[in-house]
Amino acid sequence: MAWQREDRFAYENFLEKHKIILAFFILLFVCLSIRLFYLQIVKGNKYKAISEQQRLHNTNEYAPRGVIYSSDNKVLVGNEFAYVALYYPPDGREKISDETLKELGRILGRDIKPKADNGNKYGRVLKLADNLTKEEMFKVREQNLRLRGITVAREPRRVYPIGEASSHVTGYTSEIKAEEIEELSEQGYKPGDYIGRGGIEQTYDGYLQGKSGGWQIEVNARGCRVKASKYVRPEIGAAVYSTINSKIQKAAYDALKNSDSDKGAAVVLDAKTGAVLALVSCPGFDTNKIRRKEYSKYLKDKNLPLFNRTLQALYPPGSIFKVVTFAAAVEVLNLDPSEKVLCTGKFELGDRHYTCWHKPGHGQLDLIHATAQSCNIYFYQLGLRLGVKNLENFSKKFYLGRKTGIDLPNEKRGFVPSPEWKKSNMKMKWLQGDTVIFAIGQGALWVTPLQMAHMMSAIANKGICNKPYAVEKVIDVNGNELYRRKAENGEKIELSERTWSLLHTALLETVESGTGKRCKFKDIKVAGKTGTAQNPQGKDHAWFISYAPADNPEIVLAVIVEHGGGGGVNAVPIGRKIYETYFNIGSETEYNKESAR
Amino acid sequence: MTSQEKNFFQRLVSNNIDWYLVVAVAILIGISFTFIYSAGANYEMSFRYLSVQSLAASIGFAGLLLLTSFNYQYYKHLGKLVYALSLVLLISVLVFGSVKRGTKGWFDFGFISFQPVEIARIMYILVLASFLDSKAKESKRVSFLISVFALLLGHLALIMMQPDFSSTLSYFPVTLLLLFAIDVEPFYLLCIIVGASLAVGIPLIGTFFDMQLKIAQNEIFLTNIALFLKNGSVVIYIVVLVLVLIMSGWGFLWKLKIRISIVYPVVLCGAIVLGCASSVFVEKSLKDYQRRRLVVFLDPQVDPRGSGYNVIQSKIAIGSGKFAGKGFKKGTQTQLGFLPEQHTDFIFSVIGEEGGWIVAQLTLLFYLFFIWRALVIAKEARDRYGSLVATGIATMFAFYAVINIGMVMGMTPVTGMPLLLLSYGGSSILSSLCAIGILCSIHMRRHTYS
Repeated sequence: MAWQREDRFAYENFLEKHKIILAFFILLFVCLSIRLFYLQIVKGNKYKAISEQQRLHNTNEYAPRGVIYSSDNKVLVGNEFAYVALYYPPDGREKISDETLKELGRILGRDIKPKADNGNKYGRVLKLADNLTKEEMFKVREQNLRLRGITVAREPRRVYPIGEASSHVTGYTSEIKAEEIEELSEQGYKPGDYIGRGGIEQTYDGYLQGKSGGWQIEVNARGCRVKASKYVRPEIGAAVYSTINSKIQKAAYDALKNSDSDKGAAVVLDAKTGAVLALVSCPGFDTNKIRRKEYSKYLKDKNLPLFNRTLQALYPPGSIFKVVTFAAAVEVLNLDPSEKVLCTGKFELGDRHYTCWHKPGHGQLDLIHATAQSCNIYFYQLGLRLGVKNLENFSKKFYLGRKTGIDLPNEKRGFVPSPEWKKSNMKMKWLQGDTVIFAIGQGALWVTPLQMAHMMSAIANKGICNKPYAVEKVIDVNGNELYRRKAENGEKIELSERTWSLLHTALLETVESGTGKRCKFKDIKVAGKTGTAQNPQGKDHAWFISYAPADNPEIVLAVIVEHGGGGGVNAVPIGRKIYETYFNIGSETEYNKESAR
Repeated sequence: MTSQEKNFFQRLVSNNIDWYLVVAVAILIGISFTFIYSAGANYEMSFRYLSVQSLAASIGFAGLLLLTSFNYQYYKHLGKLVYALSLVLLISVLVFGSVKRGTKGWFDFGFISFQPVEIARIMYILVLASFLDSKAKESKRVSFLISVFALLLGHLALIMMQPDFSSTLSYFPVTLLLLFAIDVEPFYLLCIIVGASLAVGIPLIGTFFDMQLKIAQNEIFLTNIALFLKNGSVVIYIVVLVLVLIMSGWGFLWKLKIRISIVYPVVLCGAIVLGCASSVFVEKSLKDYQRRRLVVFLDPQVDPRGSGYNVIQSKIAIGSGKFAGKGFKKGTQTQLGFLPEQHTDFIFSVIGEEGGWIVAQLTLLFYLFFIWRALVIAKEARDRYGSLVATGIATMFAFYAVINIGMVMGMTPVTGMPLLLLSYGGSSILSSLCAIGILCSIHMRRHTYS
């Protein structure tokens, strides 16, 4: 086989070149094969992942948050489902047509403008309208053919059955803000997630958050939906069992709301455990409606409805502080309770005059009656004898000036003044006059209502301090207990038995015959102390702290009516309402009998 | 049945036809039909694509049989006539043709359209082989080279008037390899390659730097180099410097008593100067998007949504097929439309995605086998003309395959060249089968003596 006409040399020459050409082609194909091997075998997994990623999109279906139960098995915070109209571009159409928008607007009777920058929340889905009712949802579904690409999805929403009354203890939820997302994304939060703010919603947010689910959607190159491939059910968050008693919570809120000034706070604790039975700050806000518009309205409100007065507000304790002065005097001075002091209504110290709240004076008074009548003169004199150091120490012993450690956010620590503080901060010397007003709970002493309830609980338990708490346990959807509160006691207040029994007698006497007699019941012995805290900004604050039954305390309460005037007249009836609810006593009759006497 | 026809069929049966070649082609066409069907499923066009393709393939097979029975040696003597015919074909398409995708290169017969450049390309191989065969003895002369390039230029000019840039590309390797086979001094061929790469390379490097600059604003080093190179006079200085270096290198070797003819450095310098000069014309004749497509394979991420999109998606498609592939009609890249031009230029990506590494590598092997058979035919041909024609046809197929498969894997520029025998396209399968018919004709007559 060779060329027939041409010379042999030319053919051999050609064969040589032919070999080179063949080798060259084989080399090229080997290069292609190597590249093919590299792409498919070496890098196959990487490209497979990329191809899956650009093919599959996830739509987010939000999970409902966990339910918060009250201790009397009522739902404090539940969920309902709102419907939202979404637009997912169907195949071949990127943009929603104006006709479809108009049609949807006609059905829903509102003006619909698709939000331009909502891409992050629903992926490629456009949110057109939210808060659809069930009827509207069905209407939109009926018109499915005309509304191409519009679907209706369920979106959980928080419901607060007693709304305003529990607003501060439950808190509320709102969307994560842009400035928070950087910090929170480490904990797995995504833009568009709702997060608890204030109260139990905030502290137990990690448990309450559900696991969101949704559809995995296959999209084509134009980003249009081809088919839905997989559905993950959203999983509800864990249920939180709070210690709040919805009845007491509601009763206390209503009582405060109906008082003369509708501002104030009430804290009710279980005397034996420290469980918070009610935590009321008035005025509250409607947690069901807290959206952007309402929120700014609440922010502007002069009555500060968003402010949790039970933990965040600092008040002068006024006369209820006398229990601390009382304890210090008996303990340190070994005071004889029968020792009497004459109250003329006036007290002079240097060139200053101090008065008793009862202008004519109480006359001769012993310790018990001075407490029951809340005589200032008696306690001025005790204060002078004790000195500021003892008052300061005993205040701190009773947990003033530090946080109680309740499991709710933003608790304030309050303040206990001292000569050192006055010197360094105000460049002034501590005067005897400062000690005198310290003894009756005025001056630079600041406390929260929760601290007062906590102090009363320590007195009721003869020094045992239970740390207040609002949540008993957390149970997830499968019934696993994720959290249970461990009993936790603070440092015990060590006072002699004599001091405790004298203090108990005095507090019982206060309700039996003294300033707190508006809270006297026939069958239940109540111990308590009233206070009228002078307030430089306006009318006095009315205080009432109490526990009952006196011989075996079950509950402790602290009530303050802001600018309420006298404690005995304005705060005590609210305490009475709370007791009536707790002990389930038919109300008004007893009260009327008492006041008739 | 006339005696001649009887003779023809007898020869077919008596193993005179290269069954290896035919079987390889049949397998490749089988693969082609399978994946064109799958690629069309996305647009619900499977049936239409397949019917058009099988119609064209049947006509192609008829042409194959016809050309097999026809003695290829007639073409040698009719070289001038064939060349004239090809020119008429190319001119008439410029006059009567219809425009598709900006190219006036189609004869539209209503239900089917035909691209004459596909046939002209094969005619050119016949003409060039005929010319080279008749002038083989003058192969060392420069005038010989010049007349070869005049032949080439006739076709190129007419095709660029359509304009159809990608179709001109196959002319260069075919011409070069045939010149190489006919024993032209390899140094001259090297000079031609240097000149051509300069002509195309300079504008493309400029484009590439432009694209890089758009994404890498901060890289001062790159920016400076790019700005430096974009200055025209700097390029001229560099060229002059290179020329001086070449000439002084030659002089240095001369001093060392290594005597090299002065012709070589002069031709090299001439090629460099010519290449640089013609780069200006290339720059003008290539549209901006074409230039970007030609360089984007170096780094598709410089323009991921534009010119780099095709390469990126094609690589994802092939890579995600992994070892065994995603299965027939189950490729997500293909069926969801991520892959561009999937039934035509990017058919190999569909094979890689749905068939996996096994099928893709087998396809490559069959293709190489087919080209090897074509080269065997070249070796066994009874005369130089037959060898040259077979080599030219083998080169055409190999070049198309390497450029196309390289393109879908991100190794070579995006040129818009189809994968012959596999891509969808009536004209291309028809002309490919005709070319294979010529190969068969050469093979069949290898033992014929005259």
